[in-house]
Amino acid sequence: MACPFCGLRPLEEFLFRKTVPNVGTGSGVGVGADADAGASAYAQVYLRVDSAERSVEEWQHVAGCRAWLVVDRNPSKGVVRSVALLGGAQ
Amino acid sequence: MKRASRHYSAWSLLRARLSGAGFWRPLWTGNRLQQAYDVVVVGAGGHGLATAYHLAKDHGIKRVAVVEKRLVGYGNVGRNTTIVRSNYLLPENHYFYEDALRRYEGLGRELNYNIMYSPRGVVDLALSDDDFPVLARRGNALRLAGIDAELMDRAALEKFVPALAPRRRRRFPIVGALVQHRGGTVRHDAVAWGYARAASALGVDIIEDCEVTGLHTTGNSATAVQTSQGEVQAGAVVFATAGHTGLVGKMLGVPLPIETHLLQAMVTEPVKPLLDTVLVYVAPGHAESYISQSDRGGMVLGGHIDGFPSYTREGAWHRLEDVVQATVEVLPQLGQLRLLRHWAGTNDMTMDGSPIIDRVKYDNVFLNAGWCYGGFKAIPASGAACASFVAKGTPPDLIRAYCLSRFATGHLLDEPGYGPYPVKL
Repeated sequence: MACPFCGLRPLEEFLFRKTVPNVGTGSGVGVGADADAGASAYAQVYLRVDSAERSVEEWQHVAGCRAWLVVDRNPSKGVVRSVALLGGAQ
Repeated sequence: MKRASRHYSAWSLLRARLSGAGFWRPLWTGNRLQQAYDVVVVGAGGHGLATAYHLAKDHGIKRVAVVEKRLVGYGNVGRNTTIVRSNYLLPENHYFYEDALRRYEGLGRELNYNIMYSPRGVVDLALSDDDFPVLARRGNALRLAGIDAELMDRAALEKFVPALAPRRRRRFPIVGALVQHRGGTVRHDAVAWGYARAASALGVDIIEDCEVTGLHTTGNSATAVQTSQGEVQAGAVVFATAGHTGLVGKMLGVPLPIETHLLQAMVTEPVKPLLDTVLVYVAPGHAESYISQSDRGGMVLGGHIDGFPSYTREGAWHRLEDVVQATVEVLPQLGQLRLLRHWAGTNDMTMDGSPIIDRVKYDNVFLNAGWCYGGFKAIPASGAACASFVAKGTPPDLIRAYCLSRFATGHLLDEPGYGPYPVKL
């Protein structure tokens, strides 16, 4: 996987944390729609967007620069579409 | 219509020998999809087939269809490492899995099909003095619930598992183990085939190559299932699709506390009998391996999930290395063996490591999912309980804790203790 800082590095250096809800998945379901704060907290902690076509995920380059990343992948083909820094920081 | 499979017995085998190939019939009849059913079960894996079987047998619901996108037993029921056990710490889990194990003990006779249940013992190894009290705590919880568990020290363990006896310099010394003697292995394919055969004999239609593409609803009820073979009216729908549960959630428009991860398994070339039990080795960090020897002689190995969402059914190489390293660490004599086959299943991982059997969104739509890496050992109990839920409308006590709402109310069943992640961070 290509880390924005370290370049192409082996997959085992990276740790997956969770899927990022409602980011361009087009699923129309997921986290963030709940007005109620408790329901929203529940959604943030427990609900996931589980898509076979596109998965936007939080990863960390734990055995490298330790940067938090947003990775856009196709889980059916194992293809990484893009890797960016979490929060869009440069 | 094709004729149903015959009853198997010593006498019938003798008859088969004398009468030649004409004796044998298909295990289940491949009927055409009818226009309407009382219950449509989606997914012909262990849980779906067991649910259909119990709907017909225990509750007299005969108009049941099991629709399957591919083939009977194509998914995780044919991809696991065949281990059965009930040695869970949490009461909700160990009572449920104990029910499953007890059913497994008599399942061959009940289904009239040899599932090759082998109570060879499941051995959880302790690798440090700190591990020992953790295992003792689990063992005590089990014994208080009337479930067998034996804590063994190093000397007793070496007698029980001679393959561990050669004292080597180990990275993590083995100091003892928690053993469940009634745990062991069951031929996984035979469970799928046995349930399919028994369900078919009770009149359940098993429809392969039939993908569910949508659900028709009116108000709070589902009325029909749209499939690749046409629309079928359904009084109730049960989704038991394991690694494709996320897609079911999307179809229903219900976000679920589930991610789909891969779990790898592999088998070595066959060797002479070496290991007559199941070894579970969890080294500090991520290396993990559970090892058993098949009747053919191959060492069957499994480990932890790959740790990121995937639908590829092709495991990550570094995880495979982890499993092999852990295996050679615990049994160095396996170091020279070659791997014969390697595969992966897609696991519906919940955010507390425990399953979900509940109604979802509609009054007559049920979800049997979230089995993580523990689905195979749960099949008989899951099928019976899920069928009871569908037939009576209320969940039996055994699965009340497996409700979907537990994530919102905080009544989690966090067996692995990781918090809301499928893998330890």
